[in-house]
Amino acid sequence: MNPFCRGIREDILKIAKASGHGHIPSCFSVVEILCAVYATIRHDPKDPAWEGRDIFVLSKGHASLAHYCTLARLGYFDIGRVVSFGAFGSDFGCHADRLKVPGIEVSTGSLGHGIGIGVGMALAFKIKHSGRRVVTVIGDGEANEGSVWEALMVADNLKLDNLTVIYDNNMSHGRGLQIMNPAEKLRAFGCRVDEVDGHSVKELQDALAARPETAVHAVVAHTKKGYGCRTMVCDAYAWHRRCPTDEEFTRLMEELDEETV
Amino acid sequence: MRKRFRDTALALAKDDERIVLLFGDVSVYLFKDFIEAYPDRFYNIGICENAILGVGAGLSSQGLIPVMHTITPFITERSYEQIKLDLCYNRFGGNIVTCGASFDYAWDGATHHAYTDLAILRLLPGMEVIQPGSVKELEVLFRSQYANGRPTYFRLSDHPHTIDTDPVFGKAVVLKDAGAGVTVMTAGPLLGDVLEACKDLPVNLVYFHTIKPIDREAISRFRDTEIVVVHDAFGLFEAIAEVPQLRMTYRGLPDEFCSCYGKLTDVRRTIGLDPASIREFLEKKLEH
Repeated sequence: MNPFCRGIREDILKIAKASGHGHIPSCFSVVEILCAVYATIRHDPKDPAWEGRDIFVLSKGHASLAHYCTLARLGYFDIGRVVSFGAFGSDFGCHADRLKVPGIEVSTGSLGHGIGIGVGMALAFKIKHSGRRVVTVIGDGEANEGSVWEALMVADNLKLDNLTVIYDNNMSHGRGLQIMNPAEKLRAFGCRVDEVDGHSVKELQDALAARPETAVHAVVAHTKKGYGCRTMVCDAYAWHRRCPTDEEFTRLMEELDEETV
Repeated sequence: MRKRFRDTALALAKDDERIVLLFGDVSVYLFKDFIEAYPDRFYNIGICENAILGVGAGLSSQGLIPVMHTITPFITERSYEQIKLDLCYNRFGGNIVTCGASFDYAWDGATHHAYTDLAILRLLPGMEVIQPGSVKELEVLFRSQYANGRPTYFRLSDHPHTIDTDPVFGKAVVLKDAGAGVTVMTAGPLLGDVLEACKDLPVNLVYFHTIKPIDREAISRFRDTEIVVVHDAFGLFEAIAEVPQLRMTYRGLPDEFCSCYGKLTDVRRTIGLDPASIREFLEKKLEH
């Protein structure tokens, strides 16, 4: 595992354990995605409001802890601040508040909202003849929401080639409405689609760098809920909102260093 | 009123490059001059109200001023969560301007009637709610509020009144202060019918074009009178009730769908909000 990504997972586990909050498997599925995004977009951790920055929107807002830990490791703020995750008075809620956390562009949580706002941001950059781009991550469960597909139709109609939608295909909805062919659906909605191993930072970065010139770019990232810890991958539903006991925490930390995840 | 909306938007856009119109496939032909003048600042997004609001929030986040326009119930009721989260919670300002107030589309039936919008939108933190009754009120209040950085709702009507009220945002208009024991309070286009109903009755008359923030000071002036709220929607009564310990009566909508079709006047007559019915109600109130 990429050491940077391993470090983020370690932070996630420690903070989830300490706080009792987490969505750990959903966080673990987007770690490489977050690393690749921030390695690709223009941003400045020392000046989060820099006017020339690209925009990243985590539409699947329940992976906020992964986002916080990534931003902390990039230097947006000290990881020590995130330890208060979910506590009364904390700036770091289980769903992020853009007015409280540097680097958070949109307050998300309810699914199917971030992508629509991202479409508006991409349109704003077109209107202003700006070269800035927008990258958003949606979850496969989130794609149950009709508003996701409304937003994609509008983005296609407006020819927003400055918008990249990363589809975190962590197969989270096998028990519900699992969309089995996301790439095909995204193509049908006008996107140019790349499919990558969502746990390969290199594959993700290559896809993010190769943007189409005339279409919305979609990257279907095939991921696993809980990737990084075998225990969670094997029983992702049980771990969806659960936090580890002392014994489980020790085992999960050990699993981060195992070859097979 | 929609024509005045068009003229006002066109005039403002000339000097304010931040204005961007996002339409839900209504009023598009009416705005052909705007589209011709500012093609990159007009988008007929489509019949997808959730997306209109999301896109508006995104534009707002980058310093533009979205004006989101479509039919009242579809954007306020279907997309309530987008208004709540994309605009209000995220503090992304913008203007929602709707057509089809209350029973303007009486003939279309209950799917196109809109009477909850004012009531539900006033519940959202940071939201401003405006029900212009006349074309002048629309223009004055739109010019005053469109660039305030807050989510602001303007409810247009095809049946405006023609009474000159000298509108100021957030201020009620006291049209009659007769020192009477009964005070009629109303809002929006219904003022025309209400004024006709009570012009020679011994009542006070207070009129609102701004539902949120409600003018508590004006209401408080009449707190010792019996207040009769006459309104063809929900929301005004509840807003007035923010002032504690009032004696209030609501003359408005029944707890049922008004599916009688016809014209606006037919619906108003059916539910007792035509001038004769309002007058009869007030006369009985004055007898007690």
